[in-house]
Amino acid sequence: MNGCLVVNSEVCTGCNSCTFVCSFTHEGYFSFSKSRIQIEQNKERAISIPRVCIRCKKAPCVQICSQEALFKDKDTGAIIVDKDKCTGCKECVKACPYGGIGFDEEDSTPLICDLCGGKPACIEVCRFPQAIKFKQLKEVEL
Amino acid sequence: MRHSYQGTILHVGLSTAKIWKEVLDKDSIANFIGGRGIAAKILWDETKKGIDPLSEENILIFAPGLLTGTHAPCSGRITVTAKGPATNLYLKTSAGGHFSTALKMAGYDCLVIEGVSNKPVYLWINNKKVELRDASDLWGKNIKQTNKILKEQLKDDRIEVACIGLAGENKVKFASIMVSYYSAAARGGIGAVMGSKKIKAIAVNGREGRLNVASPERFNEVVKSAREALYKDSIALDIYKYGTARDIDALNWMHIFPSYNFKRAHMEDVGKLSGRDWPKAGYLKRKVGCGSCIFACHRFTSVDKGKYVGSYSGGPEYETVSALGAGCGINNIEAVIRANELCNDLGLDTISTGSVIQWAMESYEKGLLTERDTEGMKLRWGSEEALIKLINMIAGREGIGNILAEGTRTAAKKIGGESWKWAVQTKGLEQSRVETRGAYSYALAFAVNPRGPDHLHTECLAEFGGSPEAIQVIKKITGDEKYAVPDSINKRAEIVRWHEDIYAISDALGLCAFTTTASYGIDEEKSAKLFQYATGIEMDAHRIMETGRRILTLERCFNIREGLTRGDDVSPWRIMHERQNDLEGSKDPIISQEKLDIMLNNYCDLHGWDKKTGRPTGATLKKLGLEFVLKEL
Repeated sequence: MNGCLVVNSEVCTGCNSCTFVCSFTHEGYFSFSKSRIQIEQNKERAISIPRVCIRCKKAPCVQICSQEALFKDKDTGAIIVDKDKCTGCKECVKACPYGGIGFDEEDSTPLICDLCGGKPACIEVCRFPQAIKFKQLKEVEL
Repeated sequence: MRHSYQGTILHVGLSTAKIWKEVLDKDSIANFIGGRGIAAKILWDETKKGIDPLSEENILIFAPGLLTGTHAPCSGRITVTAKGPATNLYLKTSAGGHFSTALKMAGYDCLVIEGVSNKPVYLWINNKKVELRDASDLWGKNIKQTNKILKEQLKDDRIEVACIGLAGENKVKFASIMVSYYSAAARGGIGAVMGSKKIKAIAVNGREGRLNVASPERFNEVVKSAREALYKDSIALDIYKYGTARDIDALNWMHIFPSYNFKRAHMEDVGKLSGRDWPKAGYLKRKVGCGSCIFACHRFTSVDKGKYVGSYSGGPEYETVSALGAGCGINNIEAVIRANELCNDLGLDTISTGSVIQWAMESYEKGLLTERDTEGMKLRWGSEEALIKLINMIAGREGIGNILAEGTRTAAKKIGGESWKWAVQTKGLEQSRVETRGAYSYALAFAVNPRGPDHLHTECLAEFGGSPEAIQVIKKITGDEKYAVPDSINKRAEIVRWHEDIYAISDALGLCAFTTTASYGIDEEKSAKLFQYATGIEMDAHRIMETGRRILTLERCFNIREGLTRGDDVSPWRIMHERQNDLEGSKDPIISQEKLDIMLNNYCDLHGWDKKTGRPTGATLKKLGLEFVLKEL
């Protein structure tokens, strides 16, 4: 399904359910470092900001990749990493203006939300606050 | 292969400055689950009868739940256990936040702190690397400052910290341990144990760790169905929207809102004490979730103008509003937010702090405390100035604060007269804010609670029949929904025992009690499935409830070893002898000894405990696999 994640950090409770369900869905186990979504927090002021790819139109991550290892999926519009081409230079991580790209130190590849193939698992565990929503788009913006 | 647990107990010996790891085996998980259960077994094994809770012989155990670190709903809780300084008995405390997840992900199912350091230290757990560090510069600092300094020193904003404030350092008998800034392992003086060991803080980075489960697909299915059931529960959305203090208006209207030191259960005007009023009034700034939480009942509030401008903290919770507010005759929510901020920052349990202050206000009213004792301070009901000043004096053990810091039982002995009658405590712990004169399951549960009269061992909210789900729970336990009434002695033992079992399981799994005993999305069936698919160890509903009972019975045995008898299982004097002032017309206004005895007899029978002594019988212990306690009882 074609769409993108919309983040409302005003209502994020910082529970980390999304972080764990993300790594569990993708890797089969629970882990902070393997999650494609990270919660940046200022606990003293109870501020929580989900950092995740929001599939921006410009996609500076795609533009900056000298290896052409990143591309937009034709069906979902999500940014996909071609692990064979990726050299682990982290330029895409630095280029993202939203802090939405993580990095897997173990595999030396960027961690970018792939929208779980069109049905993001994180949405399901954010039912009450709806800090992350899935917005369907009519067309894939490539 | 280990699933859902890491297989490691981390030991820290402060007297010898040694750190070592011990294997946590599968049998321990099968018999005690994790969290509270594992902590109960370790405390039994590693402490001796009669030790001083504030001596080096006591140990301090931090135990994340079995499901902590997964996406199981509300699974991020931690149990903190020791022999308790307020009661000299078993002490289980529990906290939310994210410290539990960090510790578990760093690779530890349990952290056991032993001995006493000769200088202030903090523990730095950086995934597999663990070290004790000098904390001279942290000693004397409060919670916000300690967190800030540690994050700067360790150059990591994402660490999780458990620490004590001034109250813990000064061994106040109701000092808390604060985790993730504003979540508290609060009751019974657990922070004083940490302070006595001179360990200021534990900082954890667990971001490199991972955790798997035995049957990922099945586990995920049960988690999904548990989340669905919780989302649909009648009160879940209300908890999310308005927090634990949401119904204060209604409770006040029903005359079950403890105020004026339990003399009354009603205030003329509750002002904006109800959580329902905070969003519109501008006090509520954020809703805060603990690990994998769906409710986010925790609040973050601040005051933006007026006398208390600039106050901000996590909470206040229902208990805090009743203890620091109504209990002291205060209905100004801004003063409560300020007092709550102070307690959180000094590391004080808000329930006992409010309780000891309202006890002092009543003692002042009755002439047992005078301005000579208080250095000129007028401890009048409703005095916000007295509340704020006393909180600081208690944490610093200054003047009258030094007496109050010992808790109401000891303070009443020092002040004398009949002040013990309005010390609303049993076993040395101040009662949490439930009007038990009209809620009999609660009264029974409070009387037998190993840590004293408190709701966070056995939350019997269902007896009020406040939601369709609650009524169904009562029907399941008793066979008839007609027992979903709070002021009846019938079937109370059955209701209490079911709640004890499920609560012990929740604590051991690391689940918030809101999932099992306030809303009812996770029952014994789902608990058993979560356990089985997480660990790969076979489990069913009956056996997991028996496991809950095993944990509770072991805690009971700890207290029996300390000399506790059935005679100690009572309600506070005021609850047993004085009716609420404002309910003169009530036919049955107190929990009499006779009433309590009927319920206790049934309760002992159900448990297989001797009715005269309150001791579990040999047969009961054998049935639960606890024969090993017999040689010490």
